[in-house]
Amino acid sequence: MAQTEFNYQKKDLPANLLKIGFAIFFIGTILSVVAFFVNQERAIFNYLVTYMMLVSISLGSLFLVALEYVAGADWSTPIRRIPEYFAGLIPLLFLLVIPILIFNHDIFHWAHEKAVASDKILQGKAPYLNIPFFVIRTFVFIGLWSLFYWLLIRNSVKQDSSKDQLITKKNIKLSAIFIPIFALSITFTAIDLMMSLQPHWFSTIFGVYYFAGTIVAAIAAVTLAVVMLKEKNYFPWMNNDHLYSLGALLFAFVNFWAYIAFAQYLLIWYADLPEETFWFLTRWNGSWAYFSIALIIIQFAVPYFVLLTQPSKQNPKILKFISIWLLFAHLFDLFWLILPNMKVMKDGYVFSWIDLVFPIAGIGLVMMVFYWRSRKINLVPVGDPKLKRGIDFHL
Amino acid sequence: MLNDKKLFGIAAIFNTPDEIINAAKKVVESGFTKFDVNSPYPVHGMDSAMKLKSSKLGFVTLVMGLTGGALALLFMYWTMSVNYRIVIGGKPFFAFPALIPITFEVTVLLGTVATVVAMIALFFKLPNNNHPLHDTNYMKSVSADKFGIIIEANDAKFDEKFVRDFFQDLHPLNIEMIYYPEEENYSVFQPKFLLFLFTTAIIVSGATYFTLNKLLYITPFNWMDDQEKLNPQKPSDLFSNGFGMRTPVEGTVARGFIPYPYKGETNPVHVLSNPFLPTKKNLELGKAKFNTFCSPCHGYFADGDSRLRGQFPNPPTLHSKRAIDFSDGMIYHIITNGQNVMPSYASQISRDERWAIVNYIRALQRAKNASSADLIEINKETGTNGAN
Amino acid sequence: MNIDYSNEKSVVAGRLTLAQIEDLVAKPMGTKPDKKFFIAISISLTALLIGAISVGLTFYYGIGMWGNNQPVGWAFAIVNFVFWVGIGHAGTLISAILFLLRQKWRTGIARFAEAMTIFAVMCAGIFPIIHTGRPWLAGYLLPYPNQHSIWVNFTSPLVWDVFAVSTYFTVSLVFWYVGLIPDFATLRDRATTKFKKTIYSIFSLGWMHSNRHWTHYEKAYVLLAGFATPLVLSVHTIVSFDFAVSILPGWHTTIFPPYFVAGAIFSGFAMVVTVLVFVRKIFNLENIITVDHLEKMNKIILATGSMVGYAYAMEFFIAWYSGVSVEQFVFINRALGPYAWAYWIMVSCNVIFPQLFWFKKIRRSIPIMIVIVILVNVGMWFERFVITVTSLSRDFLPSAWAYYKPTLIDGGILLGSFGLFFTLVILFTKALPVVSISEIKAVADGAQPTHQGAENHA
Repeated sequence: MAQTEFNYQKKDLPANLLKIGFAIFFIGTILSVVAFFVNQERAIFNYLVTYMMLVSISLGSLFLVALEYVAGADWSTPIRRIPEYFAGLIPLLFLLVIPILIFNHDIFHWAHEKAVASDKILQGKAPYLNIPFFVIRTFVFIGLWSLFYWLLIRNSVKQDSSKDQLITKKNIKLSAIFIPIFALSITFTAIDLMMSLQPHWFSTIFGVYYFAGTIVAAIAAVTLAVVMLKEKNYFPWMNNDHLYSLGALLFAFVNFWAYIAFAQYLLIWYADLPEETFWFLTRWNGSWAYFSIALIIIQFAVPYFVLLTQPSKQNPKILKFISIWLLFAHLFDLFWLILPNMKVMKDGYVFSWIDLVFPIAGIGLVMMVFYWRSRKINLVPVGDPKLKRGIDFHL
Repeated sequence: MLNDKKLFGIAAIFNTPDEIINAAKKVVESGFTKFDVNSPYPVHGMDSAMKLKSSKLGFVTLVMGLTGGALALLFMYWTMSVNYRIVIGGKPFFAFPALIPITFEVTVLLGTVATVVAMIALFFKLPNNNHPLHDTNYMKSVSADKFGIIIEANDAKFDEKFVRDFFQDLHPLNIEMIYYPEEENYSVFQPKFLLFLFTTAIIVSGATYFTLNKLLYITPFNWMDDQEKLNPQKPSDLFSNGFGMRTPVEGTVARGFIPYPYKGETNPVHVLSNPFLPTKKNLELGKAKFNTFCSPCHGYFADGDSRLRGQFPNPPTLHSKRAIDFSDGMIYHIITNGQNVMPSYASQISRDERWAIVNYIRALQRAKNASSADLIEINKETGTNGAN
Repeated sequence: MNIDYSNEKSVVAGRLTLAQIEDLVAKPMGTKPDKKFFIAISISLTALLIGAISVGLTFYYGIGMWGNNQPVGWAFAIVNFVFWVGIGHAGTLISAILFLLRQKWRTGIARFAEAMTIFAVMCAGIFPIIHTGRPWLAGYLLPYPNQHSIWVNFTSPLVWDVFAVSTYFTVSLVFWYVGLIPDFATLRDRATTKFKKTIYSIFSLGWMHSNRHWTHYEKAYVLLAGFATPLVLSVHTIVSFDFAVSILPGWHTTIFPPYFVAGAIFSGFAMVVTVLVFVRKIFNLENIITVDHLEKMNKIILATGSMVGYAYAMEFFIAWYSGVSVEQFVFINRALGPYAWAYWIMVSCNVIFPQLFWFKKIRRSIPIMIVIVILVNVGMWFERFVITVTSLSRDFLPSAWAYYKPTLIDGGILLGSFGLFFTLVILFTKALPVVSISEIKAVADGAQPTHQGAENHA
């Protein structure tokens, strides 16, 4: 078959996206700053939730890009630019992580020298859990992600004009190298930023747990963007099988998340060792119990039954609804992981408006980044040799 | 000869998937409904060319899967929380997280098996090796590498000549007339078959019974039952007297055992004195033990009214003057040592329990021979008029 | 080598026609077994016989014939059980997960891998039954209303195992049989003798290759694959629960479920490659089971091997991080204790050697591939050995520590399980089509309409 005969006319995204995005971001940021002055500790915990959410979407998207290359998938090639846009957040993480590093005292119990001095277990962990090493790790990870983001996306963009097949080969190699790095870095990111909030607790599966949520969030974000762009007729070639594939992936990873979460819970519940159970017991204290039950329903039960049948996996309306739902579910999951570690909320959740404002800023930021990236990079990887196959994709 | 046979349909064979898709579309356009395409593997796009509805098989899977899961969970709930409750590992009786694995497995098992059974039996109406298509050249071709289409004779629009011409226009490799095979009758209710069913039923139920009730209790190697050790009361060649059991060394006392000094005396000169006071607790113990061990012969109130219906001679009442005049130690002696036909109860009733029984007997004796002074005592205790 | 990414690679090499494919696959069933076949089957039958004698001795004298001691009460039996269940996972993965992922290259190897699944699960099933020492009481594992009027403990992972393994076996068998129905029909129509024809007619159920049937058939295949996928994950997950719900350090760790599943796929693929390399050579199936397919399997071996390596690393790190002294001890003991030899065999075979598959030349070189996949199988067997034995031999009570040594009988039973497996595999290659005829035809070049239903996907 000849090279692609697909005619791509560059069609800009509506400029409203940027305006609305900026407005949301602006309001969110103002409110967040106010929140910060009202209750510093709570604000920084909530900031961490939103930060992790942004890591999930951006890093998960980059992983999806790498996965497409490694697996040799063709159906996702025409929409590969969407995860590439989302991954554009990665370099920004350098800036976004700074508040967490500055206010580490408010979040991390192990960062208190006094606490460590009187705690044998924390002393044992000190070679790993100490501020200098923590900061180095954080920046090394973000640096690695940014490096691979830059390499992969640069190649991908270059291919738009050169149509060089060797670039695909190069990117396959890069992706293969990226995936193990991704696996380790995301694990230690999860341990550093979430597991160490409760420094006595440990679980070997925790990295995988966060990974599962990350992928759900990333696929949900991509699906949402794809469906919305399809509604605006940016993807005239798209058929049900593309949507079905997205829906099936979403369904698979919802199940994967549930599997990992269940495995972690069952093993700890069954063995009933006090050094492990207390983490779940904290999340069963007072009103946190409702959050725990709600998490099962929101992150597993509802999406499972919504996406169970074949027609619903290819219905754009259902997909749009469920991807918004799952983005919220992942945020809720992170909230559930992080907030109970606040000392004041040990015995139950206490509502505060602060919990609501940070995600607003996050949404605005994602919209702006998405728009900026789309200005620079074609919406479809026109030079990719797999593009034609991807467009003609049928199950 | 051929003309005697009943026509099943007319078939055409094609060489490529493109041709067969085209043929199927044409057949649909011509308004035939009872037709079928046969191909060695599913050809993409054929379902829509034939205008087939998408399969409803998923409903079977969904319903049966959910049924399986629900039944498994319900069954486990019933066994573990209702029928035979056991605390396991400090978990609640209905330990839901631990029941999920089996619930899941049964869901999958029932869902899959039901799907396949439903597909084969209900959707395909198989097994059917008697179909007219079998053993035709047409079948042999489509089984290998050709693509065939057949229009059945019972289609409303079927007309032999028209169909032949219709197929001819599509330029097939070959056109074949398919006839019904000669009728063969296999009555379901013929005696042989019924006998077969009956025998199968007997064998299956017999085997099940044998397996569950006999086989599981047969021990091929019963070495654990026959162990090289001495059981109580068994002889042994090792000792000169041939007994497997040994008597204790003289003068030794077993732990927790206080020897009774007047053992074997029919009319002891000395007896022990009662070490227990007749407290309420002690009397309750005595009552319980009396009812268990003594009352079968002596009766619940020591009247000598045996419940053994003459299998054993009735003992005298314990409310006789002689019995009332027995010292506590004497009654204890009788329980411990036995008297006349009454055997010793020393091995069944512990020392303290024997004294409690003695106290209870005393209480019974006093109750049966109560004085008015006792009535005053009772009134004092209960605050009511005991005479009523 | 330059690859054209704009075209899909042909699944079947050598531009075979449909008839040629069919002849190629059906040939071993039509020919008389040759000398090679008899040599192979006599070797595997010898191994099986040794195993049968060992099992007989075990039943006659009791499991005192094994090396099990206190505290290592669980040794070869569970190691072999987990090993074989793991081997079984590749088949379902290839037939179900790769099917859902629309990986067409699976068609050449799916049938064989499914058969291996069934045989491996049969091998695995032996061990839980014989390890009780009184195998005739295995019926007690099933919840039936019995004279004791008590039920099995549904919260016990061992009972989960009973359900998981028997469900897995049943579903694999059903899946396999459903795939075989069209092939039986094809064989029926090829059959030359009446005897063969009768047999194939019975098993084909009178299949007519009707498209009205194909449409349900394809749907059923999707449904079965949809069920088999979580099932295959659940089975090894439940096997991992056997260990992980306990409180023994080295057993109780939350990463066990995905780690076991990855390990199972890893070892299963290694076994599939081991066997397929020979099968494609002996039966001249090089065009149907191509080097490309082997390379793809090697990539999966690399991926899952790295996942296993990740789990090892995570266990080690968290053991240190947890600050729990017994946890820390167990892992140091594994690496440096009396079973360090087993541990390092495991690490080198499972994590280090498969890394060679990063190189394309090695992935496509058959001799090197054989060495690596056999090493992977050795390594995965040792993984289960390390998990089971090291944790038990040195548990909480140092005065009870003991070194476990297997006996000849243990070895005999392990050898026998390999004998059983290969006997079944060899018989299978002679009795049934080792490649799904209908599926491989469907993915051959030119087998599908040129404009494959662009308008028909509603």
